[in-house]
Amino acid sequence: MRILVVYCHPVPDSFCAALRDTVVEAVKAKGCEVRLIDLHAEGFDPVMPADERRSYNDRAPSDPALAAHIEHLRWAEGLLLVYPTWWYGLPAMLKGWFDRVWAKDVAFALGADGSITPLMTHITKLGVVTTCGASRWWSFVVGQPGRKTVLRGLRALCAWRCRTMFLAHYLMDTATAADRAAFLEEVRRRVEAF
Amino acid sequence: MNVFVLYAHPVEASFNAGLHQLIVERLRAKGHAVDDCDLYAEDFDPRMSREERLGYHDTSANIEFVRDYVERLKRAEALVLSFPVWNYGFPAILKGFFDRVFLPGVSFDLVNGKVRPTLHNIGKVAAVTSYGGSRFRAILMGDPPRKIINRMVRATVRPGAPVSYLAHYSMNLSTEQTRAAFQHKVKTAMDAF
Repeated sequence: MRILVVYCHPVPDSFCAALRDTVVEAVKAKGCEVRLIDLHAEGFDPVMPADERRSYNDRAPSDPALAAHIEHLRWAEGLLLVYPTWWYGLPAMLKGWFDRVWAKDVAFALGADGSITPLMTHITKLGVVTTCGASRWWSFVVGQPGRKTVLRGLRALCAWRCRTMFLAHYLMDTATAADRAAFLEEVRRRVEAF
Repeated sequence: MNVFVLYAHPVEASFNAGLHQLIVERLRAKGHAVDDCDLYAEDFDPRMSREERLGYHDTSANIEFVRDYVERLKRAEALVLSFPVWNYGFPAILKGFFDRVFLPGVSFDLVNGKVRPTLHNIGKVAAVTSYGGSRFRAILMGDPPRKIINRMVRATVRPGAPVSYLAHYSMNLSTEQTRAAFQHKVKTAMDAF
């Protein structure tokens, strides 16, 4: 299986980077092909410019900076996102990647009656590995916006029976080294089984 | 009142640009002091840098990267957000405003790993937005932006502050009439703000 890992954290030696390495190792251990996008390392620009917005409803985006991302998405059969949850959602960088790359005529087609046809139906597995400062119950009270953006919003553009996985380490601000190590182990096990 | 208007849309001729103009015009007409923050026009960078992330919890220095925005936010007595919903969320440029400006020591304190909201200078919040898809589809998706405003932002500002969320759904099928009706709704809300 071909797996695309999208990683988003500004600090190269963060805990998220360790999560990314664990995810990539686990995917390789399954014998899958893997590609990695590191949004901060490549300096991805998450801000959709005016021209791109003006032509959004007419055609797929033509910015050459997006071409490789679109090609990776079309290649992938599975997508794993590794990012910190900030303000209950995706970092702006990753949100902008959705805004710009998961565009009309790339990720979905729009009918004259407003109907949406998914175009990412070759993606049959969609997973999230994330860290949250908040507790599990408080994230639940807020409504888990980040989780819903991915597992419902993006999933709706993937294969009809796309499998999902959501692994979160809550209460990051008080986590101990043992907590973090246990989560890395859980991530390895769960990704290998996914 | 000092009203901080946060606006996020790149296209000057868009429906959202018209709503933004209407919001600012009506608030000023009612005698409010409006600080109109157009994130695209101000070329706001929503990406948190490595240095910012490393210094995030240092409340003596973390605002240095965004001092001007922090001061504007702290001066506000009310907050109005004007933005389109893209892919069931804020446009990246607006999401990044929360990531970078809603810092420890600015909008909350961290006490034993728990968040204690502190943005109590803001006593009123309104969001004005538009969705490409239908209300039904937004509900199926869990409507993340509505939850962020009604729950997260509500929990961050002064306890008990009124929060309103005005949305035009199904923009892809909108007509002159639906758009005019929504503009009227926004105008009424801003006149009564």
